[in-house]
Parts: sequence; C-alpha cells; structure tokens
Amino acid sequence: MRPLRHLGRRPIVPPPSSSSSFTIPITSSRQFSESAAANPSNKTQIYVSRSTDPLTNLSLEHRLLQTTHPDSTVLLLYTNRPCVVIGRNQNPWVEVNQARLGPQSAIQLVRRRSGGGAVFHDEGNVNFSVTCPPKAFHRDTHAEMVVRALKSLGEGAARVNERHDIVVDRGEEGTFKVSGSAYKLTRLRSLHHGTCLLRSPGLRSISGLLRAPGETFIKAQGVDSVRSPVANVGVEPAAFVDAVVDEFRRMYGGGGEVDGFGDEVLEVEKVREGYEEMRERAWVYGQTPRFVLSTEATEDDPRERPAVPFEKLAEGFLHDLLSDYVPVLTFSQSKLYIEAKRGIINNLKLNGTSLESPSIVGASIWEISDWATRLRDAGAEVDDVQEVGAWLDGVLATQP
Amino acid sequence: MASIARTFMAARPAMLRLAPRAAPIARTPFRTFSSSRMSLLRKYTKDHEWVDLSADHKTAVVGISEYAAEQLGDVVYVELPEAPGDWIEQGDAIGAVESVKSASDINAPIRCKVHSVNKALEEKPSTINQVPEDDSHGGGWIAKVDIDEAGVKQFEGLLDAEAYQAFVSTVDEE
Repeated sequence: MRPLRHLGRRPIVPPPSSSSSFTIPITSSRQFSESAAANPSNKTQIYVSRSTDPLTNLSLEHRLLQTTHPDSTVLLLYTNRPCVVIGRNQNPWVEVNQARLGPQSAIQLVRRRSGGGAVFHDEGNVNFSVTCPPKAFHRDTHAEMVVRALKSLGEGAARVNERHDIVVDRGEEGTFKVSGSAYKLTRLRSLHHGTCLLRSPGLRSISGLLRAPGETFIKAQGVDSVRSPVANVGVEPAAFVDAVVDEFRRMYGGGGEVDGFGDEVLEVEKVREGYEEMRERAWVYGQTPRFVLSTEATEDDPRERPAVPFEKLAEGFLHDLLSDYVPVLTFSQSKLYIEAKRGIINNLKLNGTSLESPSIVGASIWEISDWATRLRDAGAEVDDVQEVGAWLDGVLATQP
Repeated sequence: MASIARTFMAARPAMLRLAPRAAPIARTPFRTFSSSRMSLLRKYTKDHEWVDLSADHKTAVVGISEYAAEQLGDVVYVELPEAPGDWIEQGDAIGAVESVKSASDINAPIRCKVHSVNKALEEKPSTINQVPEDDSHGGGWIAKVDIDEAGVKQFEGLLDAEAYQAFVSTVDEE
C-alpha cells in the first residue's frame, strides 16, 4: 500500500459490539506481542480474534505478514460484523450498491490489500488466513486444508474448484460457493485468506448489496467480480474454528498455543496505523483504478445504456424556414461523461463541454455529497442539472 | 517478486519446462526502436525484476522477467508508480500487479526515481505476460527511471543474464 496523501487523524470509534459470536479455543492468556510474533523460534503460530471489527482484523493480519519470521506459517481466524469487502484493485461504484450499506444498515465498505473480488461478511461467516513462505505457497493448499476441516464436520460434498474457491455440490440444486479466496504476495511472505459461509443470516441480501446502480454506465480498469450462487455450509462457527485449527496443526505440527486478541490489539502502534490507513476514504475510494462513467455508448465501451432518470420530455423550439419559432416537444437529456483516476476527477463533460472549474477537475469523488450544487458551482448550464446531480448522488455514492 | 515465483509452481510444471528461457536476452530486433538503445547492460534481481542501465549511467528501464510473468498467470491489472515520483529505495515497491486474485508488489531493483511509466499497461495489462522483457514501445517494461551513484553501485551487485538463468533453474529444481 503506497503512502496515502490525506491521512487526517480521526479518532477511532469503538465498534458497537465487539464480542465474537463463537466461543474460541484460546489457550493462551498473553497479550499480542510483535516480538513474540517475530521470534524465529515461533515457526507455527495460531491466532483467533475476538474482535469483529473488519479493519482491526485486516490490520493485524497485515502486521503478521510484515513481522512474522519468513520461515514461519501463521494461521489466523476471525469473524467480522456485517461488511462488504472489495479487492485491492476494484471499483466500489461498479461492485457495491452503496445506498444499501448506509449508516442505518451499518454495513461497512472495506477495501482489503489482497486481490480478487467483492465479498460480503457477517457473523455467520468465518474467515481463515494463512501466511507462509513463498516457497510453500500454492493457491489451493490451504483451501484444501479447509475442505478437510469441512469434511471432518460432515460436509462431504465440499471441494476446491478451478477458481480456487470452495464449493459444495448439492445434487440437482446445483453447485454453490461457500468460500472465496484472495492472495497477497510479497517478497518474503505469501498470504492466502478466504471466507467461509457457515450460518450467514445475510445470505439473501448479498446479491442486492453486490449490484451497483452505476454498473452499466461505468467502464473500469482493474478487477471485476465473478458472480457465483452462494450457500451456507451449516456448521457452527466454533466447531469450524476447532476443525481448521486441527487441520492446520496436522500440516504444520506445533501443539503450540492458540493466541487470542481483541480490539486492544490497536494499542500496538503499527496495527493502529494500518487500521487508520485502511479506514481513510483516500484508501477505500482513492485506490480505485481509472474509470469512465458515460451516459452514452463510447468507442471503448459500446454497451447500450439504459435510460437515465434525468431523461425527460421537454419543450423546445424548432426554427422554421419562414423565421417563425414553432414550439415542439422533444426528449432532452444531458449527456454526461466523467473520467476519474484514483477517485479523482480528471475530466467531466456535460453535453460534450468540459467543466474546467477546480471544484470539479481534481476534486475527490468521495468529497462530493451534493452533485447538483457542485455542478452548478462549476458553471454547469443545463436545464436538468438537478436531475443529473440527484442521479450522480446515487451512482457515485460514498459512505461518510 | 520471489513471492510470485512460486505462485504456479505446482499447477503448471509442464509450462515451466517448455518455457524458452534465453529468448528475451537474444531478442535484439526490439532494441532498434527502443528509446534505451544506448543500453549496454541488463541485469536481474533474485526477485525476478530486470533493469537496463543506460550507457551514461544516469537512467535505466525496469520490468519483470519472463520467468516472473509466467509464474504470475494472467495479469489483469498493473498499478504503475506516480511519474515523476520520489526516490524509491532498492527493494521497495515500485508498482503492483494483480493476477488470479493475487496482489503482488513489484520491487525497485535498485534505488531509483521514476520519470515515466508505461501507460499502455493500464489499457492492456496482458502485455506483461506477452513481452515482459521488451523495453521498446509496445513492450511490457514498467518504468523509466533516473538513477544515482548508489543505484549504479547496486546494479553492479545484481545478476547478469547467465547467472539469473542459473538461479532460476535452481529455483525450479527445489
């Protein structure tokens, strides 16, 4: 992750509820210690998180990747409160219906550091994460480990598919994805983390959350998610955690202790820094690869566009040959084109004319909450500026 | 990019054996059109990056090796550094790529300062898979950089083509 430009310091708000939904087989009562994690004699390390804050868990995971000894293998298990997690190189306005996240529904949008597509997490989903030396890394190794854990719990139909995901075959109903994987590879370490849907109550809401209103208007560089039908495995989270720990120990030995940690891990300076960095909108939105939003088909993106809500029947005039103005009714709709990189607007055209105002060019999308006002401030002179603005408030919505 | 090197190890062994290793080094015709035609030397890191040093030792071109490109699998996104950028220390990230759900850093082979990047990779990331060691227009090079004395010194410590090929074959045998 490159250094961010806008690292304002906002206080960390404690999460509403911090207790995990499963009882954890934590055998050690010691606090998380970076020096213990980095100690070369700790070849096999197992951590189970009590925190349900996605950023706390991702930040500790990243810190373990940075600090654990290059020869060590580290297992981490955690469950997050409801959130949508997008991959490092994804576009949130293509992947996520942000109006559905909202402060009310309290589903947090998170961008992780690993690759891959968008996933939904809630308390019925347990995440596994294994960090190992690059030499030992293969995309399927630890998905297979989780499959063995699921089989030991009676889910015999689980297998790893060609996308390195875990699926279950349910006869005539079809094949369902229960776990998705993503990877972060560095010089010294390889990280594989994945979700596992066990008893997710939010399963039905997933497809609505992961369907963005602007998708059909945006052509984005970066990574598109691949949609798959999903299902719950139907095992208890605590039993799953136990089974994965068992399988991990079988692979790497080490009757070692299982270390637990909670939100107090944010007292570790680097974990806290990572947390704050990931929380910044300059990361969540500002890491977005270049994209173009256009209400008209373009050369690069010839898809036919759906009607936009600011298309309306308007009164116009026809200049007739006898120099009379004849009122007619026509469809009027401003044509909108926006080009942005790293969430910052490079170019915005209304009806083919670029708005040159600094309140548009160089502005961060996540800092615009009222597009109509912003467009007017920039000198937009179209009749339907209110409608265009209201539409943009939806398709380029951001979480506060 | 040692990390990348192992990505497809078990999955594509046949591919690895068949890969034409020496090809990129011998591919001189490309150089004719290259802005770095003055280039005298190409060296490699054990992390599978290459660097071409210009004759005057002031600038260089960097990219990733054919070996690394094969191991990555299909590259779907290349995150280029900012240009012009600040000085980047040897081993620090100079960019990143995504392939098969994996985010991988590209590290600076030597201390350097980016002055231009290969923008074509944004539109066509798969160029990295096709011609990763081509430093000409249309090639898969990552960035053109300025270097200082420290960078030149580090360059001397890198592997030449022969030593790199030997290194890669030992990696494969492990």
